[in-house]
Amino acid sequence: MWIKHNRRLLAKVLLLLVILVIGGVTVSGCYGRSQPKGWSGAIIADDTLFVGSIDGSLVALNKSDGNILWTSESEIESEMVIYGTPVVAGDLVYAGGYNGRVYAVTSSTGALRWVYPREGNLEPIVGGVVVSQGMVYFGCSDGKVYALNAITGDRVWQSFETGDKIWSTPVIDGETIYISSFDNKLYALDANTGSEKWVFDEAGGAIAATPLVYNNTVYIGSFDRYLYAVDTTSGSLRWRSEVEADKWFWAKPVVYNNVIYAPNLDGRVYILDANSGREVASAVELDSPISSDAVVVDGKVIIASQEGKIYSLDTSNNQVGLLRNVGDDGQEIYAPLCASDGAVYIHAQSSNQDTLYALNAQTGLEVWRPVSLSSK
Amino acid sequence: MLELWSSGPVALMLNTLIALSSYLFGSFGLTIIVLTIIIRGAMYPLTVKQLRATRAMQALQPKIAELQKKYAKDKQRLAQEQMKLYKESGVSPAGCAVPMIIQMPIWIALYQSIIRVLAVTPEALLGLSRYLWSWPVVYFMLPLDSHFLWFDLAATSNMPLAILVGATMWLTQKMVTPTTTDPQQRSQSQLMLWMMPLMFGFIAMMVPNGLALYWAVSNVISIVIQYFVLGGWGGLARAGAGKYVVPSSKDVKVRVAEAETATSISAMEADIVDTGSTEEEESGYGGAGDKRQLGGGGYPASLRAFKSRSRRSKGHRPKRR
Repeated sequence: MWIKHNRRLLAKVLLLLVILVIGGVTVSGCYGRSQPKGWSGAIIADDTLFVGSIDGSLVALNKSDGNILWTSESEIESEMVIYGTPVVAGDLVYAGGYNGRVYAVTSSTGALRWVYPREGNLEPIVGGVVVSQGMVYFGCSDGKVYALNAITGDRVWQSFETGDKIWSTPVIDGETIYISSFDNKLYALDANTGSEKWVFDEAGGAIAATPLVYNNTVYIGSFDRYLYAVDTTSGSLRWRSEVEADKWFWAKPVVYNNVIYAPNLDGRVYILDANSGREVASAVELDSPISSDAVVVDGKVIIASQEGKIYSLDTSNNQVGLLRNVGDDGQEIYAPLCASDGAVYIHAQSSNQDTLYALNAQTGLEVWRPVSLSSK
Repeated sequence: MLELWSSGPVALMLNTLIALSSYLFGSFGLTIIVLTIIIRGAMYPLTVKQLRATRAMQALQPKIAELQKKYAKDKQRLAQEQMKLYKESGVSPAGCAVPMIIQMPIWIALYQSIIRVLAVTPEALLGLSRYLWSWPVVYFMLPLDSHFLWFDLAATSNMPLAILVGATMWLTQKMVTPTTTDPQQRSQSQLMLWMMPLMFGFIAMMVPNGLALYWAVSNVISIVIQYFVLGGWGGLARAGAGKYVVPSSKDVKVRVAEAETATSISAMEADIVDTGSTEEEESGYGGAGDKRQLGGGGYPASLRAFKSRSRRSKGHRPKRR
């Protein structure tokens, strides 16, 4: 009876509910696209390859055939998201998580050895960790640099604080840590004490890229669209790139024969003289933004664009050729590339799955069949 | 199509937001507030048009309800009579919807750009770079400082902010909700009055706080605009000091007969004066806003007559008891 008298009201309620659902889906859809998934690169130690998958697991694979040896998902938290490439030192594999925790697992089984902090968590960790002389170093979104004992996971020195988020991976050279921050600065810290050696503050934008240290110089790209060369001893500017890119420098540059190859989000690879910053050749234009770190294999720079194309740039003539297009498989590439014994390992991902490719760096042929890493 | 949308209106809004923040001490919270005020200001004429059209439609609701009842079995005749009523009263049903439809893409672009600029995750920041224009300031400003007042604009689940969104939306809705003696209309009004604030309050908990801030600011601006356009607090004033009653179906039987013969708003005016009570004077619809309508206000002569009479009754005629 009530329904009969209120049919119009019910219809309007239903219409309103439909609008609410559509609105909710639209809003959550826009927001949902930005859910963190991670873009861990791969690393090789002995005959094992370690990589973080987009479902938050650390995965160990046999380097020779791609067979999965173990996944750590039962050992570490399921909600972990890994952006930084894992690091192997001794019998442990180290990885930082977007959940604000650093994990050390045994390289043979993936069993958890320690986690830092033991209680609670830090702000998200986006950059990778580095291990040197029994210490684990990493930067965090809280703007601090941490140093832990690699065996126990205990903090060694009071964390050094920068002015903004740190999303890059620190680089160790001798007794010095180089790390960049969103506060537009590049820092050089004493690896033993965490004290500041110098700070470079002449960049005009935030720095998310990991520095390259080569020949007493730190090379770093900034959001102000310039590449900088900084003296490792004094922290003074050696040069700022002659050319201004169209977009941010996000990926770490590589060097070969005193030439810097700097990928940019404008889809170009800038080719600069390491001593002067002048362009030694016109920038090579690829199909889409480049955010993954490149590698050098036998005189060729292997570069991956976000849309899944893997290119080989011949350093002798700066000609570029397409090695493989994993974009055809619906995959994109954000993770740093990894090279070993003439092969390049690429961690590609789509919205709900990720795949590890092993390609011959010269021919682009598969070394072994692509391996699906995540179970999502 | 989606790419065109993202690289067009969304990119325009997004780059404007970032550039504007450079003049506002790099505060993204302040930028959201200022840009919302600018856009709401630019769309003020459309908002006013929509409010007035909505008000005119509300004034016709009793007659429409009666027509629906009378011609429930003759849809064609009902449509004809409704069209006739609209035509004679000079009210267009599209008058409410068109300004809103025009504004919708701008709101969607604004909130999508806020979400993108906040760049909560590394993927979002990386994706943002695709839509940046070659203005140096845009590159220098990013990533923006997401802290504003006591909260992080990029974080979620800020309960005080969600309550603020829900409360301001309730006030906005309440101001434009007419009181009616018709149980069905009252149910619908109550449903809208509570459903929208609850929904937006709930969604505000799930989206980044920057978006919730935008909703809260936008609601406050709506309240201010409505105050001036409606000439007072509208439904809020009625809630606090008596009720203006939109006549129920039973109250307007006389008007049905008039609708069949010579529908005119002046006749309706007489009915409303008869069926309304002294509480009409407390109605927010009888305030400063009517002064504007005396001068025309975009209304047809029939509606202007209705409104001017209403105003006259306020100060110069003894109340009926």
